[in-house]
Amino acid sequence: MMTTRPLFIPIILGTPRQGRMSEDVATFMQDEVTKREGIETTLIDIRTLSFPLTDAGEAIKDSEFSATMMRADALILVVPEYNHGYPGLLKHVLDTNLKEYIHKAVGLCGVSAGGFGGTRVIQNLLPVMRELGLVTIFWDGNFSNARNLFDTAGQLLDPAYLKRTDKFLKELVWMAKVLRYGRENIPR
Amino acid sequence: MTDTPKMICPDCGIEMNYHAEKLDYTAALIDPDAVDPDLDGILEEVHTCPGCGTIGTRRSQ
Repeated sequence: MMTTRPLFIPIILGTPRQGRMSEDVATFMQDEVTKREGIETTLIDIRTLSFPLTDAGEAIKDSEFSATMMRADALILVVPEYNHGYPGLLKHVLDTNLKEYIHKAVGLCGVSAGGFGGTRVIQNLLPVMRELGLVTIFWDGNFSNARNLFDTAGQLLDPAYLKRTDKFLKELVWMAKVLRYGRENIPR
Repeated sequence: MTDTPKMICPDCGIEMNYHAEKLDYTAALIDPDAVDPDLDGILEEVHTCPGCGTIGTRRSQ
């Protein structure tokens, strides 16, 4: 029997860089998730986290971040494509946890200045997600030409992204429900 | 998803479960007029029979 408690789907803004275009995307995704019933969310800006750089992995766990990952049923990563890769600081942050991610859904939103919508950063993230125990979905968020996607107030200028995001979130929610049921009910 | 008419399993005759939507880019090459301009592909529903596991697809309605 499915539980009725809300799903918790945090959004991780995966770059600390000044002038980042993905901040508007992360805020947009937060707004879209918030519109849906039965889902709670929060925006985690990795710029505000303070993991040390003198070590890595679970040795530098942050109790608040880990608790958020533990509670999460799914994650949305909003990640810019830098030189075809993902920001190193995002990997540093994600690597601080492991068991907290197991059998949880993840949706990837790539952000790029060019026209490919961060497809290369998404491809590069897939093996990382798998190794962390996360379950990727087959819908992605591909945000191309990021500097022209939002106005100066952060409002979306291309309404096509509303429909695409709806499909992305429907799949993510379905996978999050299925995996929660599995985690809580299906023994191995 | 719940507003979509149920597909009926061709083998069991029972209602199938609608559980996914998938963009089909290959079908878009064959039938470009059917492409959803917001999604750049043709959206297909995926249904599975809870009785026998048969999988059915159809264009999203």
